[in-house]
This record gives sequence, structure tokens and C-alpha cells, in this order.
Amino acid sequence: MVAVAQHPNIEMITYAEVTQVKGYIGNFKATIKKKPKYVDWDLCTGCGTCAEKCPTKKLKDEFDLGLGLRTAIHKVYPQAVPGKFYIDAQNCTKLTSGKCGVCEKLCPAQAIRFDDKEEYQEVEVGAIVMATGYDLFKWEEAYGEYGYGKYPDVISSLHFERLVSAGGPTGGKVQRPSDGKEPKSVAFIKCVGSRDDTKGKSYCSRACCMYTAKHAYQVKDKIEDSEAYVFYMDVRTAGKNYEEFYQRSLNAGAKYIRGRVSKIYPRGERLVLKSEDTLLGRPLEVEADLVVLATAMVPSEGAGALAKAIGFSSDKDGFYQEAHPKLQPVETFAAGVYLAGCCQGPKDIPDTVAQASAAAVKICGLFSKNELATEPMVTQVDVSKCSGCGFCVPICPYNAISLEPIQERGHHGPFTRNAAQVNSSLCQGCGACLPACRTLALNLKGFTNDQLVAEVDALCL
Amino acid sequence: MKKRVGVFVCDCGTNIASVVDTEKVAAAARQFPGVVFATTYKYMCSDPGQELVRNAIKEQELEQVVIASCSPRMHEKTFRKAVEDGGINAYMFEMVNIREQDSWVHHDREQATQKAIALVRMAVSKVLRNQPLQVSTIPVTRKALVIGGGIAGMQAALDIAEAGHQVILVEKEASIGGKMTQLDKTFPTMDCAA
Amino acid sequence: MSIDKSQWQPKIIVFACNWCSYAAADLAGLNHLEYPADVRIIRTPCSGRMDPLLVLRAFNRGADGVLLSG
Ligand SMILES: Cc1cc2nc3c(=O)[nH]c(=O)nc-3n(C[C@H](O)[C@H](O)[C@H](O)COP(=O)(O)OP(=O)(O)OC[C@H]3O[C@@H](n4cnc5c(N)ncnc54)[C@H](O)[C@@H]3O)c2cc1C
Ligand code: SF4
Ligand code: SF4
Ligand code: SF4
Repeated sequence: MVAVAQHPNIEMITYAEVTQVKGYIGNFKATIKKKPKYVDWDLCTGCGTCAEKCPTKKLKDEFDLGLGLRTAIHKVYPQAVPGKFYIDAQNCTKLTSGKCGVCEKLCPAQAIRFDDKEEYQEVEVGAIVMATGYDLFKWEEAYGEYGYGKYPDVISSLHFERLVSAGGPTGGKVQRPSDGKEPKSVAFIKCVGSRDDTKGKSYCSRACCMYTAKHAYQVKDKIEDSEAYVFYMDVRTAGKNYEEFYQRSLNAGAKYIRGRVSKIYPRGERLVLKSEDTLLGRPLEVEADLVVLATAMVPSEGAGALAKAIGFSSDKDGFYQEAHPKLQPVETFAAGVYLAGCCQGPKDIPDTVAQASAAAVKICGLFSKNELATEPMVTQVDVSKCSGCGFCVPICPYNAISLEPIQERGHHGPFTRNAAQVNSSLCQGCGACLPACRTLALNLKGFTNDQLVAEVDALCL
Repeated sequence: MKKRVGVFVCDCGTNIASVVDTEKVAAAARQFPGVVFATTYKYMCSDPGQELVRNAIKEQELEQVVIASCSPRMHEKTFRKAVEDGGINAYMFEMVNIREQDSWVHHDREQATQKAIALVRMAVSKVLRNQPLQVSTIPVTRKALVIGGGIAGMQAALDIAEAGHQVILVEKEASIGGKMTQLDKTFPTMDCAA
Repeated sequence: MSIDKSQWQPKIIVFACNWCSYAAADLAGLNHLEYPADVRIIRTPCSGRMDPLLVLRAFNRGADGVLLSG
């Protein structure tokens, strides 16, 4: 991470989003919206004096998924890059009610800017990498049998990561969110929201088998006399050294039970998991202090809208669609736009890194040239025939056609009317627009109507 | 544009010639309107094969070229280049697939030959309506935009930057790192995530 | 009038997308999968290019069957 921040060729713009992309391969114009941070990052030294004194102490920390607390002025987490503070406007007393302003008075660098505004910046780039990652499936909205999120000791795997992390809210001690006690029995449920057509997604999320093996091992390793139960449908360990990793958890004493949990309910301080051991064909009940759900990966919020704005497609689950599943796994249907990581589909870190490097190579290849040759078999408009109906415009999968005003000469002097225009850099020569044109104003070079008719006639002779 | 089509029928060793009577195809082609020259050769894609095409374009003053051989998905680029080197526009050329879609899928010599003739007739008919096309170029801005600063975005940005190009990395949160920064240790090596 | 079915040679015109069906037909060739020689393929850049008028043209000129594939 620090390598990214320090690289002279990388300009990092955080707390920002891309709102619009225009243009085509080699020549994109992107608009970046920078959200107000209320702190001048050129001045902020990251000393943290402000956060120490900020009176809003009891806000739930998003980074710790609500397991820890933070103030309105804060860093995402202590090792954040860049290591600067920013104000969460919704919870800052000064910004919501005009009172306070303690940080402004105390900041030794005088970096606080309560009048900070949203800013837009336009950049010109030749290629784009989509790396918007994933979110976790909202199991609380779908799984009533696991309590719809009403039991505090039923948590997601990402919560569990925060609990075992040395930098987390408990300093790496596994504790129950409800009473802070160390759980002696931890149950893991895999495929929550994955491989479940009725309540969740049909696909496999690919990383959860492995991180659950990791978590079960961590329970056995960190907590004395503990039990780790893993409820599973299958154990998928298709990766280099993955099966060995899973075996290590088994050897450490993790108990794998093949079966889905049909219900979780409280009994005293503990939780009861009702299931079936499908290998033995026997119903089963397990008592646990903590239940961890390996929830599905889903596309990150806003990913679909971004794809639309740029002009490429998403698949049925909302992940970004690659141009070909085998032969073009990092390309999209928009030339010059590439995919890396979980935005294209669930995957773990090794696969993510491999895909990111592949996308980078594609771009370096593109950048190795000064100029790009364009395929000449593109569509041409005969404006004299074009009626300006615009039927072709929405047909084009590459957004290559637009209606543009043209000047013409009539009986009563010059006038303007609309006619279709094809951007030959965007046009991929598919010819889908041709059948839409009622006036035969469009023609695809190399596959003209005349040429195809000649072929048909010659074959039918 | 004058109508002076040259037709070149490839034997592909025996791949085509063992099923399709290539001489007969060339003879039939000579009768098609616009065709002024037709010949066969053992390997049209080989150096001497391409040389044959280039020379014929000059000697016969060909304006259009049809090559009946393997799939255009295989050698269209090769032959476009040869045609261009011969002195005419690379797009005044059509390719006829008489291997993958003829000699390899039929065994009746007569029928396969008739099909090849029909396909050549189709291509001749098309090529007479071809127009010279120009490849144009567009400039490339050598700067990349990476959207999302998780491990995927960071890795891509670093690789591109290391190759000497400018990168703009846009992250919606105030810090880069993505989900990985929330993880403790990571499989399969169990090293720390940050 | 009756048609002698053993002699009848239908004209089948196939419009195949360059990226999928045309490539698939090549693959069939690679695997030497035999099919009747009456099938003749016209390459299109994409099945989206297909104009219904081309199909009608084929029938009008005596095609017995038209297959669009993409
Ligand atoms: C509990 C858990 C444990 C895991 N453990 C492991 C493990 O041990 N080993 C392993 O290999 N894998 C593990 N994984 C998988 C790992 O998290 C992913 O493979 C990896 O994080 C994917 O990286 P990414 O960059 O594609 O996505 P992310 O990490 O999600 O990064 C995406 C980034 O893009 C940003 N972003 C999103 N939308 C936008 C937008 N519109 N504009 C700008 N920025 C945007 C996000 O804020 C984020 O910073 C685990 C996953 C989970 C859930
Ligand atoms: S002004 Fe806002 S951010 Fe600053 S100390 Fe007060 S509440 Fe915190
Ligand atoms: S990786 Fe394992 S736990 Fe995750 S969805 Fe696939 S099978 Fe289920
Ligand atoms: S040929 Fe295809 S890509 Fe080109 S303008 Fe028409 S629909 Fe769009």
C-alpha cells in the first residue's frame, strides 16, 4: 500500500468517485467527484490531536463493522493510506448544528476546513482498469432461520476477521459481541447466500471454503480447549497448497459436519444450531457461543451504474462481464476498459493479483504504441438518406451512434436537421444497426447490403 | 474500378486437393464474369505461394483477388498483407473457406468440388463490389485510470506505473487497501494482509 | 409431379457469425465432422448484421432452407 502512495507515477485520489466517462480507447475523458473531507490534506500531518478531543466518541466504526468505536473526525483505520484525517459530515456536531469546532481550534497544522465543498476534476486517460471489488451478501435480510441479525453472537466472517486481527477492536482476542466473553465453542456455516437459488445466489463465492478453514484453525490455535464446528455442503480447495491448508485445520481438530443448518435459536447464553449430518443421515444439534457465517460475495454497491456510465455490461449477477470467459478474461466489450479482481466475479487474493497483472499488461501493450490502427470495416452513414429517426441509436451495443445536427440547403435557404453519426473509433463493425435503418442510410464497409445480396444470389444460382 | 479478378486455389498439400478437384475449381472460376486469371498452388500461404499472388497481381494487372484455401480466421491477415505488397488495396480481397468448411467435412469428391465452385462464385461476386478501405489511426493517451483501490487496483496501478506510465488511482473510501486491510492473516501463506 | 428424394439436392444457406458459429463450423472441420455438402455458409460480422430482407432474398432466389446462427 505504501508502495502505491510513494510511487512517482501514481496519483492517488481517495474519497472520490468516477461519475462520468466519455470517449473511446486511447482517448477517454473521465470526471472524478471528490467528496468533501473538511480537512486540507496538504496540511494535515495525521497527528490525531483532533480525534483525541472530538466529543463525538461513540460512533460505530465502519472499518470494524460496528465492533469498535470512532469519532467524527477520523482515519479509516490507524494504518490508513494516506494517513490523513477526515470528517464524517453526518455525525460532526459543527457541521450538523454549528456548535463545537474543537478540532479547528486544536489542529496544530490549521488544516480544518468546515467550508470544504464537493469538487469535480476532469482527467484524460487512454485506458481504464475496473477494480471495484465486492460487498458481502446481506444475510440479515434473507436468512430468517439464522435470526435475521437479531442475535448479536451470529456474525459474518468479516466480523470474525476483525475479532482475530491484532489491529482490531479487541486487539486480536476473540470475544463474543454480546458479553465480551471468550467463546469456547465456535460454529461456522459455509455457503450462506452462495449456492442457494432460493434465498441467495446460485454461484460459489470461491474464497469462503478456504477462509473458513483458516478461521477454524485460528479458533483452535488461539482459544484453549475450544471446539470449532464447520457446517458445509462441500469443501472446495482447488488451489495450489489449498488442500494441505485445509488438512492442517482438520489436524488441528476442527470438526467438519456435512449438512446445512436449518435453525439457530438461543438457549441460555448459548446458541443452538439444528442440522443434520448428511453423511451419517442423522439429525444433529450443536451448542455454540459464537456463530460465524461465510457470506457470499456480491458486486460492490454502485458497480452496475458505473458500468452503464462507461458503456460495458454486467452479467446476470451484476459482476462485470468479461469479453470472453476463456480467451479474454480481463477485457470488456468496451475496448480499452479492463477488469481486475472481484468486480469480475468472486475470487481470492492470488487470483485477484494475477488478473490485475494481466490487465496491466494489456494496458502496457496498448501504451507501447503512439497510435492505434482502427479496423476500417465500420459503419458509414449516408446522411442524404438518413431521416434522423434515431432507431439505430439504442441498437448499437457500443454506443457508437448519435444524432447530430447537420446544415442543409432547402428551397427557403439553409436549415438544420438531425442525422445519425457513427463514431468510427467506437464502432466495432458488428452491423447490428443496419437492419434497424428503414431508409438504408447505414452501410457496413466490407459487409455492405450490396455485397451480401451478391453473395446470396451467387450461392442460390 | 476495373473488373480484373484473380482466383488462387490452394491444394493445402493434400488437405484440400484430396477431396476437392482444385484444377476443376480454377477452370470453373475462369468462366466467371470478371475473372481474368485463375490458378492452383500446393501451399498458397507459403512464401512461394504469396510470391505467386504478388507476381500475378502485377503481371495480370489484377484489381481484385480471391483466395480459396483454409478459413479466413486462419490466414486472412497473411493474405491481406500479400495482396497489399502486390500493389493493390488490402481490402480488395476475399477468402474462400474450402478446407474447414468443405474438404474436411465432406468426402464425396464431386459434391465437395461443386461446393467449392459455388463458394468461389460467391466470393468473386462479392469482391467485385469491394471498395478500397483505409486503416486509420487514433492517438493514444499514455495514462491509465484505475477505479477502486483494493488489492486488484493497487496491483494493476503498480504494474502499470513500474512500466513507466502515469496512473490515476481513484478510491471511494478515504484510504486505499479495500477488504484486504480488514483481514487478519491470509490463506494460503498466513502472512499479514496489510 | 413428384420429387425423387434420393436425387434432390436442397440449397441450404447459412448465415454464420464470424465470432461464434463461423468459428464453430471451422471447429467442426478440424474434427472432421461430416455433414451434407448442400450446406453453404456466408460469413457475417455478427448475427446482429442479419437483415430479414437477406433471408427473403435467399428464399426468393430459390433457397430451400436458411439457417441464421450466432
Ligand atoms: C472474511 C473474508 C476473508 C478472506 N480471507 C482471504 C484470505 O485469507 N486469502 C485470500 O486470498 N483471500 C481472502 N478473501 C478474499 C479477498 O478479500 C479478495 O480476494 C480481495 O479482497 C479482492 O480484492 P479486490 O481488490 O478485487 O476487491 P476489494 O478488496 O473489495 O477492493 C475494492 C476497492 O474498490 C473500492 N471501490 C468500490 N467501488 C468503487 C467505486 N465506485 N469507485 C471507487 N472505488 C470503489 C472499494 O472501496 C475497495 O477499496 C477473504 C474474503 C472475506 C470476505
Ligand atoms: S467539529 Fe466535528 S469533527 Fe471537529 S471535533 Fe467537533 S464534532 Fe469532531
Ligand atoms: S467457496 Fe465453499 S463456502 Fe464458499 S460458496 Fe463455494 S462452496 Fe460455499
Ligand atoms: S456496426 Fe455495430 S458497432 Fe458499428 S455503429 Fe452499427 S451497431 Fe454500432
